[in-house]
Order: sequence, then structure tokens, then C-alpha cells
Amino acid sequence: MLYFIGLGLGDAEDITLKGLKIVKNASRVYLEAYTSILGVGKDALEELYGREVILADRDLVEQESEEIMEGALSEDIAFLVVGDPFGATTHTDLLLRAKERGIDVKVIHNASIMNAIGCCGLQLYNFGETVSIVFWTDSWQPESFYDKIAKNRQNDMHTLCLLDIKVKEQSIENLMKGRKIYEPPRYMTVNQAAEQLMQVVQRKREQKLPLDMDESTVCVGVARVGSDDQAIKAGTLEEMTAVDLGGPLHSMVIAAKTLHPLEIDMLECFANDPSVLKEKPT
Amino acid sequence: MVNFTVDEIREHMDKKKNIRNMSVIAHVDHGKSTLTDSLVSKAGIIASAKAGETRFTDTRKDEQERCITIKSTAISLFYELPEKDLCHITQPREEGCASFLINLIDSPGHVDFSSEVTAALRVTDGALVVVDCASGVCVQTETVLRQAIAERIRPVLFMNKFDKALGTLKLSSEDLYQTFCRIVENVNVIIATYGEDGGPMGEIMVDPAKGTVGFGSGLHGWAFTLKQFAEIYATRFQIEERKLMKRLWGDQFYDGKAKKWSKEKTKTSQRGFVQFILDPIYKVFEYTMNKPKEEALALVEKLGIKLTNEDKENYEKQLMKVVFRKWLPAGDALLQMITIHLPSPVTAQKYRMEMLYEGPHDDEAAVAIKNCDSKGPLMMYVSKMVPTSDKGRFYAFGRVFAGTVATGQKARIMGPKYVPGKKEDLFVKSIQRTILMMGRYIESIDDVPCGNVCGLVGADQYILKTGTITTLETAHNLKVMKFSVSPVVRVAVECKHPSDLPKLVEGLKRLSKSDPLVQCSIEESGEHIVAGAGELHLEICLKDLEEDHACIPLKISEPVVSYRETVSEESSITCLSKSPNKHNRLFFRAVPMPDGLAEDIDSGEVNTKQDGKERARYLAEKYGYDPNETRKIWCFGPEGTGPNIVVDCTKGVQYLNEIKDSVVAGFQWASKEGVLCEENLRGCRYNVLDVELHADAIHRGGGQIIPTTRRVLYAASLTASPKLMEPVYLVEIQCPEAAIGGVYSVLNKKRGVVFEENQVVGTPMFQIKAHLPVNESFGFTSTLRANTGGQAFPQCVFDHWQQLPGDPYEPTSRPGVVIAAARKRKGLKEGIPPLENFYDKL
Repeated sequence: MLYFIGLGLGDAEDITLKGLKIVKNASRVYLEAYTSILGVGKDALEELYGREVILADRDLVEQESEEIMEGALSEDIAFLVVGDPFGATTHTDLLLRAKERGIDVKVIHNASIMNAIGCCGLQLYNFGETVSIVFWTDSWQPESFYDKIAKNRQNDMHTLCLLDIKVKEQSIENLMKGRKIYEPPRYMTVNQAAEQLMQVVQRKREQKLPLDMDESTVCVGVARVGSDDQAIKAGTLEEMTAVDLGGPLHSMVIAAKTLHPLEIDMLECFANDPSVLKEKPT
Repeated sequence: MVNFTVDEIREHMDKKKNIRNMSVIAHVDHGKSTLTDSLVSKAGIIASAKAGETRFTDTRKDEQERCITIKSTAISLFYELPEKDLCHITQPREEGCASFLINLIDSPGHVDFSSEVTAALRVTDGALVVVDCASGVCVQTETVLRQAIAERIRPVLFMNKFDKALGTLKLSSEDLYQTFCRIVENVNVIIATYGEDGGPMGEIMVDPAKGTVGFGSGLHGWAFTLKQFAEIYATRFQIEERKLMKRLWGDQFYDGKAKKWSKEKTKTSQRGFVQFILDPIYKVFEYTMNKPKEEALALVEKLGIKLTNEDKENYEKQLMKVVFRKWLPAGDALLQMITIHLPSPVTAQKYRMEMLYEGPHDDEAAVAIKNCDSKGPLMMYVSKMVPTSDKGRFYAFGRVFAGTVATGQKARIMGPKYVPGKKEDLFVKSIQRTILMMGRYIESIDDVPCGNVCGLVGADQYILKTGTITTLETAHNLKVMKFSVSPVVRVAVECKHPSDLPKLVEGLKRLSKSDPLVQCSIEESGEHIVAGAGELHLEICLKDLEEDHACIPLKISEPVVSYRETVSEESSITCLSKSPNKHNRLFFRAVPMPDGLAEDIDSGEVNTKQDGKERARYLAEKYGYDPNETRKIWCFGPEGTGPNIVVDCTKGVQYLNEIKDSVVAGFQWASKEGVLCEENLRGCRYNVLDVELHADAIHRGGGQIIPTTRRVLYAASLTASPKLMEPVYLVEIQCPEAAIGGVYSVLNKKRGVVFEENQVVGTPMFQIKAHLPVNESFGFTSTLRANTGGQAFPQCVFDHWQQLPGDPYEPTSRPGVVIAAARKRKGLKEGIPPLENFYDKL
């Protein structure tokens, strides 16, 4: 049996009782460590579980999944994922491949940023499509996330923006040479995400395109949701470029055009200047 | 006896309309360097008597020993044009100034060093094309002339080795005229073929009647153009010089009795050129060589040639030389031809700017270049690096096209990879010192205004081979030079003592700097590779490496040829590869390019900077490509310019533009290291048929798409019947009839294919042209000599790529053997990788 076990958001202790039981009895336990990070290190998990945990990087999951599934027909293998196993879509493929080989698969869910974001006060029912904002390079500056945010705004829905994380990424040169040299890990902050969004807005403005959001759009920046030192700040997009939310991981919400009075009340708790929350009708 | 000083030169550098920048170009052994010396002797750096014996411009010991030029050399000359001749100059000139500054670059004639010629042409505006009148227009004459015309360099012609025609060949005067005529025609055919009709340079064909063709002997130090003789006869005939010149060439016959010119030959009339030019020359030759001395001296007196008593002591050949040199001094004739007919920088930069500058043709830099404005922003092109006496350091030699370069000036030094607005390949540094380079000597100079060539000290730290130096922040690069030869022959070098490795690495760096063409690289296996244009080029490079740059004993492998990988059919299936996260799928097919397209891309006829619509039209007309597709050519590769393309044939795929960059990067990678044996690709077109992408940008980044692109391209190649291509030389062999049999038998053994054989008119020599695979050319010269008793001389020049027949999958076939050897050398897994490695099932 191959178990996909969600670890939740905060620290080692967020694992469910059911999950913990399986982990203790499984013959091998893998920790997927590239789509998200947990507030604590691998050793903390090992200590809590009282057993060895194998770190699974991108190469192992994507290219050498055989190794993970080895023996799963007869034994129990646990595959630990920070948040919820299907919070991100990347693991569907692993599940499909396991099924293909006749391996039974079971999923133990847990909290994910997808639902925990409710902590900021915006109602989960009012969220539209989730987007990722990726690190721009000199030559690669995709703007497609803006289109999706715009579409959500047109439908008067909030947008949860997951911010890029780069763990064990190779530079293009090293990738071509086949050298396993990895760049230092990078996590996008709310400031960087807001900065890129502002640039997109500016570009659209220069092209004289209709704008569905601008510098004064209400946004919420969150950091380390689910951990003891979680941080939340509400304000305009422009304010988001300067807020200090501390260490990773960050996420950001672009609020809908109209906010429910209760939503405003909640956001006021996190705003430096509550007056900006009442967006002028455009 | 130096008759000019640095200060005088500097003063003259500001008189831009009286500057001539020129190169001397020719086939090997046609006598460029010797001729150059007679110019130098006129300008007075070495004593007149030594001209013809010391090769002033051959500065290296091996150059003097081998009697060939290897590196191009620059010198500055000074010439005062006689007042009465100023009217012959049709372009603008400095008022009230009859003196001219001539910057001359002597370039090598051997094809292996053509890259030196390219570098020389870039910094000059005019070219003196030297042709040996006994052997005529040869393969390298054509190559260099073609390059000159492509760079918009105006040519003048000089027929050298007149003495050989008189002495050894003993041609009749009419035959000699016909020989000259044929050479002029051949040269003009080349000019017409590669020149632009109605181009901005105007008429560039050479014409003796206009004075753009010189005749003479560089070795004996004499030369003339029709102008010299027209001067002599002008008073006698009472016609203007310019009109008389027209009479002295072509079908113009003079009847001495009737005193009439006509276009038809009659019994009593004779061709003007023969009667008034060749006959006197033949007579002087005959008298000085064979007649009693008194008669000879009497004739000399009659011609008005003044000899010193010392001169009169000479006999026969020596006397002949001295008489000709006094009668028709080479320096005067050539310098007149150069100053009158070659363009000044002011004239030339007007039409050269658009060929030189990469940026918009109306920005500040472009305008300053066009106007040759010394007050404008500095724009200098460094075309080559010249070794200094200080080991490992180089002077950066180049041409100032705009502004003024000065010692201590702060400038932007930009390499070929510099892109305006970015910081890559850019250094902002002070110019340590500007210098004048004159053959073997250098002189410091404070500053150098545009229109001149000069050297820079210290810039070698920032420039690899070539570069642009400017003071303007928004300036684009000056165009990188395109070489006519490519580095197709390579060897691996190793140091004999492993502890010398750092010296070897340092030496390779220096070697790479000192030669415009040579490529030094490190293979995956750790081997150091040196690649050059041919055997001789490599030999010289390796000798330099061993003796000058690294100074350590070296082990050198057998030479290896570079191959290219290509496809010969369309992919049999549409190939699919999935990204590592399996959420992105790419669908591609490979198609061979139609014949000629790869060459068009090589020559830059089709390139990445072209307007998309214009390119699509060209491709549609010439190759029948669908313009809707070719408007969406994503990129060329390898190196962004190579002869392979990716074409977007998808319909309505969302976010395709967000993965374009990653696909391009993957393609650059795959086209540089092909699937068969990691050689470059050539002549492959890849069509993107469809893509399926993850909805979110984070899951379709470079890490996912780049390796997938490479895999799908490999799959597409493997299903498109992949083939190898090998480089082929055009080899030109001159030999007497008796040696032809030997030539053919050697060529047969070496897979050579003869496609032309004819007798050189007026000589007993035969000329054979053949295609010879580069792989077979090692030791070709020596085998040929051995089989023909040393009578056949080959010249090899890279010509084209040709498919290596045979199935690459057959281990014993020619391509199979090449692939196996290459894979082994590069430390790759044995055998061509199977399709399953790259092709994913749905």
C-alpha cells in the first residue's frame, strides 16, 4: 500500500493521528521536500516519529519514482507531503503510476494553505482560481497569473496567489552540462510578488489596456500560516511591496472588488491604515 | 631614413579626407609582402635599396623562414601627391593639402589564414588586390575579393611579377596584353557577381583606362599605371592625360604613318597599349639584358632616365633592375593609384555604416560613424589582438570609426555578446595607452581621431578576440566579423608533464586571443581541443602554443575533423515527450531543410535579426515555405545563429509564449550536441506541432521544459533518418601536364572528385579543381608532392558540408565508425541512444 500523508502547515505535530500511526508502521517513509517546506527540519520529524525519514527531492519523485514504489505491493510505504497531498497537482502523476502497477493507494488529508487562508478573514466561498506567481528572470517574465487574477476580479472573487519556491534548482548552464550543482534555495516574498504585479499593471497601463486591478487594490499578505509565529498584513498592493512579514513561506491574496462587511471587519485587524480597505468603485 | 615623425602623423590624422585605410590582399605567393615593401621604401622607413629583399611586414621568424605571411601587419605611410595630380581625385579632399596619410595592412595569402584577411578588411576602406600575372586569378584571390566586396571595400588591381612574364615566359607583347585583359575580366566577373548593382559605392569594377589597374614587379621595385605613360605621351600627342589613357587600353589602334587612332586594326596600325607601353618596356628589357652596355645606356638616356655613376657599374640583370626602378618607381605609381582611387574614411563611412553598425541607423553613434565625426561619441572596433614583447599581453588593434580615442579616457569595452541595456560582456575601464603600430615598431600617441587605425594597451584584459569600444552608453555593438573559413580541423593537446597543466590552460587562453579564428575548448572528457581552419593553420597555432604561449612540451593527438549531424527525411511519427512532472507535453517533428537554406543562414542571407515578414517572403519564394509558418520562426541554433530552426506550427495554444524561451534554450542545447555523437546539427527544421501545458506557470518553468525540449528534439531526429555530414575542401592544384596522372591517382585514393581541369592560358601549367573531404586532407600536400615529383601545389579552402553516405546504425559503415570513435573520445555511452530514451508514450 502507498500512503500519501498530509503533514499540515505548521510543525511536526500537525500530522493527524491516523497519519502518525501509518508512519510508525510503514517500512519506508519519504518526505517530499520541494513543493513546500515545513517550519521544522527533517530531524524534528524523525524524533517525533521515532524512525528514519528519507528525503525525496524533485529528481527522485519525478524521475526515479520506481525507487519509491519498490515493494509497495506487499509493504506499506508512506509518502509525506507538507500541507495536503493534493494541495499542489504535482503528485497526481505518482498516484497514477502507482495505480498503473496495481499498487493500492490511500490518501490521508490535512490542512493546506488552500483552506487555511481563511484565517485572513476573507471567506473561502468567495475565492476564484488559485495562481502561482513565479520568479521572473531577465528573459522569462510570464504574466499569465495576472490574467487569472483579472478574471477572478471580474467575477468579484478573491485570488489566492502561491509564491514561487526554488529548492534544488539547477542553473540552465548546469542543467545542460548535466552537473548536479544546485542554486541556493529561494523563496518569493510578498514584497517581490507585489513588485512583479505592479510591473504588470504598469505594462498594461502603458499598452492602454483596461485594468482590473491597480496599485490601490486590497491585498493580504500572509506568512508561515499555521505556525506559532504566523503573520498577516492587509493593505493596498503598493503597501504590500514594503510590508515585512519575516521568513518564508509567504502567500498573498488579491481581494475581490466588493468585500462583505464582516470581511472588512476582519481585515481591519491586520491593516495599518483601515481606510484603504474601502476600495473606490472603478 | 625616417621621413615622418609621430607628431607629423598625429597632425595629419585630423585631415580625414586625406587619409586612406587600405589592405593588400591576394592569393598566396602572388607577392603582396614584397610589393608592400616597395611602398614602405617609398615612405622611407627602410632604405630604398633594401626594398624587395627584406620583407618588412613579415615580423615573425617563421614568416621570414617560410616566406609566407601569417599575421597581418599594419604600417602608416606618408605620401605627397604632385600638385598637378590632385585634380584626378573625384572625392572630397582637404583644401590646400597634397599630402596623404596611408594606413596599410599587409595580410596573409594562404587560405588557412583568411581570418586575418577578414580582420584586415574590417578596418580598411580600400583594397589593393595583387594578382600574379603569370598564374592569374586563383581561388584565394576570389575568396578575399568576395569578402572585400561584401564589406564594401573598394578594390584596385595590381598585376605583379611582370618581370617573370618578360624573362621566363617570354610572351609576345600581344599575348601579354591578352593575358592582362583576361585577368582584368576575371576580376571584374567576381566583382559583378558579388557586388550590389547600383549599390552606394557606385562603379567598383577595375579599368586600366581609368587608372585603377597597376602593372609591374614588386620584386624589382617598379610599377606603372596607364596614367604614368599618358603623362609621358601627353605633350607629344597634345591630348589631355585622361583622354589619352582611354587610348592606351582596349581595341584602340594607332597608325603611325597616318597619325590616326582607330577602333579597327589595320596593316599599319598597332594596339595603343602594345605600341606605347609594352614595346618600350620590351626594348629596355632587351637592351639592358642582352645588348652591349653602351647601347643600353644610350637608350636609357634617350628615355630620360637619370642613372648615377654607381648605377652604371651594374650589368645585365642588376642593370635592368636599376633602370626599371629609376624609370618607373613602384612607390610613386602605387601610391598615386591608392590616393587617387581608394576612398577616404569620410567617403567610405557614409556607405559602410549600415554594414558596420548593429543598432538603429539613425542613433547618435550611427550618425557619428556616417559623418566620420571626431567630435561625436567614440566608436572603435577592435579587430584583432597583436602579441606584445611582454609575454601573454596583447595590443588591441582596431579602427576608430567615430569620436577620438585617447590615453586615460574612460570607455565602455563591449564584447560580441553585449546587449544594450544589459551588463553581460561589458567593462567600463580607462584606456591605458593608445599607440601607433608600424610593422615591427610601435610608437606612443596621445589620442587618435576617427578614420584611423591604432592599437590600445591594456584592453586585452577585457576583450577576448574582438570588441567594440565606445563612450556612448546607448551604443550598440559594431557588427561581429563573419569569417569565410571555419575551424573544421581539431586536435587534442596534452602536456607531457601533468604538473604543467596550469601553464597549458593559460597558454590556450593566450592562443585563443592571438588568432581571430582558432577555437580552444574543453571536452566533457577533460581533453583540451584546439580547432583551426586547416593543417597549416593548426601547425602554426600549435607551434605558437608550445613555444610562445605555454612554453611547455606538448603531446598532440592526430587531427580530427568536426562533423555535423542532420536529418534526411521527415520524422516518421509525431514525437511526444513529457516533462519530468508529466504535466507538460511537447509534440515535435523534424524535417530536413531544402538544399541551400543552411548555406543562406551561414552567409547571413537569412538571419535572426531580419524583419519577420521579409524573411518569410524570402523563404516562401526561394524554398516554398508556408509564410504563415515561417513568420513564426522561434530561433536559429546553435549559438542563436546556426543553420537549424524551430518553427511554431501550433494553432491557438494558450500561454505558448511563456514556454518559448525554455524551448529555445533546450533547442540551443540539442542543436549544439546532437543525438548521434554530440556534434553540432546542420540543416534541420523542427516543427512544434502541439503542446499541452499545466495551467499554472510554476509548473511549466525552465526546469520542466528545457530538458523536455531536448528529449523531444532527439526523438524527432532519431525518427527522421539521421545522417552525418562531413566538411569538404575545394582544392586547386597547379601542375605541369606530366604530373596530372599523379594528381589524379592521389585524389582517387583520397575520395577526391575532380570537377574542372584546364590549361592556364599562355603557360604550360594545368589547373585542376576538385572536392576533397577534409578528413582525407591530412598529409595530402606531402603525398601529392611525393607522387608528382614535387611539381604539384595544392591550395585547400573549406567549401561545403556534404552528407557522409552510409547508415549511421551500421557499425562498419563510414558514419558508424565516425560516431563510435567520437562517442568514445567524448566519454559517451557506446552506441546511438535508443528512441525509448526520449520518446514518451501517451
